Amino acid sequence: MRALSALMRDWWGVGLILLAWQAWVVVSGMNAIVMPHPLDVAADLATGMGDYLPALGVSLSAAMAGLVGGFALGLLLGILTWASPVAAGMLTPVTVLFSSVPVVTLIPVLARLFGYGPGTVVAITVVISFFPAFVFSSAGLRALPPGSADLFRVLGASRWRVLVSLALPAAMPSLAVALRIGAAHALLAAMVAEYLMGSSGLGAMFAAAKSELRTERALGASLIVAGASLALYLLSLCAERWARARFN
Amino acid sequence: MRIARDPRVLGLLGTLLLCLAWEAIGASGLGGFTWPPLSRVVAMLADPDRWDLFGRAAGATLSAALTGYALGAAAGIVLAVLTHLLPPLAPGADRLAAGMNAVPSVALAPVFLVLLPAGGTPATLSGIGVMFLVYVATASGLRAAGAAHQDLFSVLGARPAARLLRLELPAALPSISTGLRLAVPAALIGAVIGEWFGAPRGLGVLIVNGMQNFQIVLLWSAVLLAALLSLAGFLIATAVERAVHARFR
Repeated sequence: MRALSALMRDWWGVGLILLAWQAWVVVSGMNAIVMPHPLDVAADLATGMGDYLPALGVSLSAAMAGLVGGFALGLLLGILTWASPVAAGMLTPVTVLFSSVPVVTLIPVLARLFGYGPGTVVAITVVISFFPAFVFSSAGLRALPPGSADLFRVLGASRWRVLVSLALPAAMPSLAVALRIGAAHALLAAMVAEYLMGSSGLGAMFAAAKSELRTERALGASLIVAGASLALYLLSLCAERWARARFN
Repeated sequence: MRIARDPRVLGLLGTLLLCLAWEAIGASGLGGFTWPPLSRVVAMLADPDRWDLFGRAAGATLSAALTGYALGAAAGIVLAVLTHLLPPLAPGADRLAAGMNAVPSVALAPVFLVLLPAGGTPATLSGIGVMFLVYVATASGLRAAGAAHQDLFSVLGARPAARLLRLELPAALPSISTGLRLAVPAALIGAVIGEWFGAPRGLGVLIVNGMQNFQIVLLWSAVLLAALLSLAGFLIATAVERAVHARFR
């Protein structure tokens, strides 16, 4: 009983949404072509795993490769702005500019620049993951514990020593936040890119299912992505907690 | 040397360099034929013959984004106030907000396409993005009232409604205005992605058509227009945020 009430307390919102969805389907009396029954979707998921899983693997590995690349690039530029005030002054407004515009609209531009293909999906996720990584790493590298910079100066530490022993560890919690934001965005970007180009992965699978009116397949692909991105989110939440406990 | 260190000068310089690089790469053909110089993109946007096309597309996207923005912001604030008044609801609302944020809109779009009347997807997707940001900002803002003020209201026997209206909501306004600023690009992103999944017109439709039909300059122009619209909204929201911070802090 206690477990049930705890479950209610934590998940009433999600449950309410699902109930409203079911009620809408029943009340409006949609047929199966427009809105497949949950059982159809479940059956397709069970029988079609051989199609879903490889596609998910393609999307996930593209998203992860892009996330790693974007993070490396963002951290590198973050360190550059940390080391050079001139670079910081010139790069910061440009990044602010990019964070105030819808970056996903760049996906079609990048798709045309690099050509349709799996490599382009990775390039797009690199660009999308770059922004949070850069913003949070340049902020985190400056969020030093009070007095620590003075201590390093008094002890005559080189800039490299300060970076490796002080600024980078201090930036870890910020980087973990960037990872949490970036992980969800990376999968989103990979999916949208695949959907628009129709080249590979779950996004292309979804686009094909949509044009063939196989709604149970399209919704199944939706569910798989939703599950994967929720898992990514929870994983990055764990990473963030660990980084906070370890570096704060 | 003093002037050269002014962040505004450096910022202008950085933006200028970006535009120059865009122009140079396009004009020299270094980026291939899919990278047009900035001047050609701006020329297309400035061409009066195109204003009808761009105007209709931008109007559709803006109205979807504004609808989503208004409804999403209202829903986010209401949900945050509700969970503030009824604390037992808070964990569930947090899960709902985090879950909706973590699930990519790509996964939700097909569901909305089926469930909603035609053309409702862009506004719904932008509303969801906005709602999450505003809910988080409002929920943390409602906890921002100082302990001394809270004690004063308790001592004077203020009712929950009076406490909310006269203390907690005013204290939350700076945080809410920050959330509203961050929500501007989210509203545009939701509208454009929604249009990619199916809408009769809009900037997103223009962008995808430009991509698929190799109308490269049109593609870049539509993207630039979307960026400029978002930037304008962002600047307005920044001004509002400054005013609110000056008044309520």
